[in-house]
Amino acid sequence: MSTHTYKKAEDPHSGSLPDKMTIYQDCLNRFNESPVNPKLCRTLITSLLELISHGETFPAQEATALFFSISKLFQHPNDSLRQIVYVAIKELCGISEDILMATSSIMKDVQNGSDLVKPNAIRALIRVLDESTAFSAERLLKNSLVSKHPSVCSASLVSSYHLLPIAETTVKRFANETQEAVGDLKQLPYPDENSRYYPTTSHISQYHALGLLYQLKNHDKMALIKLIQQFAGQSSPLKNQLAQVQMVKLVHQLVLKDTNSIPQFLPLIVNWLQSRHEAVALEACKLTAALSNLVPSEVFAGAVSVLQGFLSTPRVTTRFAAVRLLNKISMVSPEKIVVCNPELESLVNDSNRNISTYTITTLLKTGTNKNIGSLIKTITKFIYEVNDDFKIIIIDAIKTLSLNFPEENETILRFLMESLQSSEGSLQFKNSVVEALMDLIQFVPQSKEKALEELCDFIEDCEYNEVLVRILHLLGKEGPTTKNPSLYVRHIYNRVILENSIIRSAAVLSLSKFALVKNDPELVKSIEQLLIQIKTDPDDEVRDRASIALQFIESVKSNNEVSNIAQNFIRPTSTYDVVTMESKLSQYLSQGQEAFQTPFDVSSVTKYSEDEKKALDLKRRQEQAFQHTEESSNGNGSGSGNGNENGGRKGDRLDDSTFNGTSLQEEKDDLLLSKHIDEMSSLEQFQSFGKRIHSSKIVPLTEIEAEFVVKGIKHLFDEHIVLQFHITNTLKDIALDNVEVVCQVEGLSEGLLDDQEEFVLPIERLLPDEGESCYVAFKKLTQNSDEIVVERFSNSLKFQSKELDPSTSLPFEDDEGFQDEYEFDSLFLSPGDYMKPSFVSNFAATLEELPYESVSVYNIVETNTLQEVIDKLIISAGGLPLENSQTVSHDATQHTLKLSGKSILDNAKALLSIKMIKTSKGIAIKALVKSDKDTLADDLSNNLI
Amino acid sequence: MGNLVSTVFDRLWGVDKELRILILGLDGAGKTTILYRLKIGEVIETKPTIGFHVETLSYKNLKLNVWDLGGQTSIRPYWRCYYANTAAVIFVVDSTDKDRMNIASKELHLMLQEEELQDSALLVFANKQDQPGALSASEVSKELNLAELKDRSWSIVASSAIKGEGITEGLDWLIDVVKEEQM
Repeated sequence: MSTHTYKKAEDPHSGSLPDKMTIYQDCLNRFNESPVNPKLCRTLITSLLELISHGETFPAQEATALFFSISKLFQHPNDSLRQIVYVAIKELCGISEDILMATSSIMKDVQNGSDLVKPNAIRALIRVLDESTAFSAERLLKNSLVSKHPSVCSASLVSSYHLLPIAETTVKRFANETQEAVGDLKQLPYPDENSRYYPTTSHISQYHALGLLYQLKNHDKMALIKLIQQFAGQSSPLKNQLAQVQMVKLVHQLVLKDTNSIPQFLPLIVNWLQSRHEAVALEACKLTAALSNLVPSEVFAGAVSVLQGFLSTPRVTTRFAAVRLLNKISMVSPEKIVVCNPELESLVNDSNRNISTYTITTLLKTGTNKNIGSLIKTITKFIYEVNDDFKIIIIDAIKTLSLNFPEENETILRFLMESLQSSEGSLQFKNSVVEALMDLIQFVPQSKEKALEELCDFIEDCEYNEVLVRILHLLGKEGPTTKNPSLYVRHIYNRVILENSIIRSAAVLSLSKFALVKNDPELVKSIEQLLIQIKTDPDDEVRDRASIALQFIESVKSNNEVSNIAQNFIRPTSTYDVVTMESKLSQYLSQGQEAFQTPFDVSSVTKYSEDEKKALDLKRRQEQAFQHTEESSNGNGSGSGNGNENGGRKGDRLDDSTFNGTSLQEEKDDLLLSKHIDEMSSLEQFQSFGKRIHSSKIVPLTEIEAEFVVKGIKHLFDEHIVLQFHITNTLKDIALDNVEVVCQVEGLSEGLLDDQEEFVLPIERLLPDEGESCYVAFKKLTQNSDEIVVERFSNSLKFQSKELDPSTSLPFEDDEGFQDEYEFDSLFLSPGDYMKPSFVSNFAATLEELPYESVSVYNIVETNTLQEVIDKLIISAGGLPLENSQTVSHDATQHTLKLSGKSILDNAKALLSIKMIKTSKGIAIKALVKSDKDTLADDLSNNLI
Repeated sequence: MGNLVSTVFDRLWGVDKELRILILGLDGAGKTTILYRLKIGEVIETKPTIGFHVETLSYKNLKLNVWDLGGQTSIRPYWRCYYANTAAVIFVVDSTDKDRMNIASKELHLMLQEEELQDSALLVFANKQDQPGALSASEVSKELNLAELKDRSWSIVASSAIKGEGITEGLDWLIDVVKEEQM
């Protein structure tokens, strides 16, 4: 049924609610009558439930009185009355604490009640049970699980599912009954007139049983595989489509954890793709899309053609699901869904705006240089018809497009400017357009001047303060380096004359930046003139800013020591890492009065130069583009900027823990890292090492579900290398004493590093669920502090394990424990640890310019995909991938990866151009490294793999 | 003739009138067994009652609404929620449980002080007479200080719910008293 023809239910609030106290009194009176009038009581409870559903609550005493009067209705044998009594009990169990008084009566109904009330009784039963009473209901529930009646069976399955977190041990014993229920096709026992029109059952109990069974077995991979073998496939007893969908999801989960198992499940997937249930086929398509290059291309093509078929079904939900999935595929491998373009194009004007928006963003991905122009023309017409949320999604798609097709920047720029200048659109929309423009200016330098000029025109007539301030800032940042800065000065000064004080002060800052243009003394002079005039402004802030700007300009001119500082204030060359800054500041504030004696030490916050900042930005954009944003696509992108970007590759390739690798996760990681660094820095043993130069990211060295979870961090000092191993004890009943990490140096560094560690700082005691760090310090033998030391450390954990005394949760006093060892992955100190990402706008030109060159050739025999190799190289070289070279299409046989970075030791630049060719024998790699320092180029090229 | 009498009774009582009877007592005294002995005439397997059981049964042309409330310590405080409109209370005592006689006595007297139960008759079952070492009805009566009760019709009957002894006798007495008092 279409939503248009759906008759709107009457507004529940339009009718007046019954009076709470009247209902309460009536309930007490009527329910305590003898004998009770079942019909009247039903009506009363209905009114009571209506009140509760509108958020009315009763104070504890009244709720108790209500509960007891309702419990008295158990004396009447009427099934209809009993049913509503159960509904009421379920509602009241939240507000009344005496609910356990109904237990025996409910149990009796579960055992002997009619089929009509049994399901209700079961559902009410689990609400009143707790861990101790669940045991007494075990047999009842087991009997209901194997009931032949589908409703009774479903009710007990779902109830057991909800009981699981409350009484795990009891529910765990239901596995056999549940297993039986999955395969059992239960029929409703009423063959009557109606059964000719309605199916006698939907087999929904299979779905419920599968859900419970999964909860019972999800820790046991082998059991899950067995489950799939038993219930999926040709002779599958599963009739219910939701159960089948669930099966597909289960396979999905398993193959993501272990991609080697894909061949085993492939026949199943192929079978599901042909399912007569659309939901099952869609879910199978989703799975295929997620596996992408891991399944044979004909299977993938099969999934795409299933989706293609769905695009022209009359059912809106199916169309939507199909187009959303295609959109996801288009993020990774647009070439594979080009076949759907005719169908997609006909959906552009779909009456459902969700569908049309997804269609357009998909088409933008599959688009090539040739048809982008015409696509944008279509969108220009379309964008005025949709609401702002969708507009923002489209603008975001365009933004990604501008990074992918820099050569199309003129068309894109025109489109963005038109959207900006149109009178329609909310602040968020305008803001996202401005952001897209900023990206364009930042990462596609050829479009800069044109875009800035257009922006100047725009600010003449802009109604949003926020947008205006951002643009003024942008003009101040980019304007001075253009060919004709005076043009911008005029536009900015106009703002000072015409706008309110917020914009005026932003304009003053922006103007002052132009004063630093070196080669145009005329301009500097006129800016000074302008600023002097502004000093008479009626607003304090504007006046103050003008005065201080003038002072700065004066001191820059005088060319003394202060001039650098002043220059830095006007045009800062570096910014602080905002996240770290925030956490450090709040830490500082929480220390209390005494700490305020010493000022906040800003030098502990990481600083980024402009190149690095840009590199980080670009990296974040790239990652965002591949983010798994299930949430935002569920919420049809309302307000969320990245509704279109639910692509799969990044998320799917990594393991589960980073599945939703949002930037929030990244921030959390960063905070954790800075916490670990602080721990290390506070130890006095490391004070003599001098200033820490750099710390690597946190490297996981074990599986996250291992007995001892170990993570490593590499800290670089002038003359030392410190390895920090953070160890978490996940065992419940064992304490570890004298934990230390034994590091074996493998000798890659050839005499650059002392192969005996300088010292080890062990952990005295590690109790269950605790995490602490063990440190191993090495001394560099080289005199040259800017030389790169590359090394591999193979590690093992040495400790005494001691059993815990359950009463004290501490080891038994006389337990000597026994010595044990635990090996985990090696830690590799790669050249990438000495590099930080850095942005260059023109890779080819910069590559030419750099003086020193080093070339090396590798051959990888293992059957890796190109993408895997690329991912490894990016980490081991530590550079920023440029020109979208970090991704490669699945069927490509060659690729060039372009990386750019700077040495953390001396800021020497290094650019890497790595060519790779995939042949049947493996992957051949030729790496060209250019740098402004010869040793850096050599070190990088020789230690890539 | 008997028919005529019963219709006269029916008219006097009002046909729909039901008698509300509570069965109370400490846990494990045999309350649930007595209830189902009355309802279906058999001994059923019981579990400790968490909450209550309620059954409607016909007895001598009367409709009895019998509530069997759980006797565990945690449930006893809730007894009072069911006192309203009660015609009679059946208090069941485990005659072999000498250690807890004083607790049973305390609970009994506490209950009888309640305003809502002032007009209800009391029948005490000295249950589990089939077990060796069971106290006799008069011994139980002494332990429970039943003699102290004033202004109340009460009686104590030795019973065995398992064997079905004493139950009907007790109930007969109770119904007679209630009929008399409520007429």
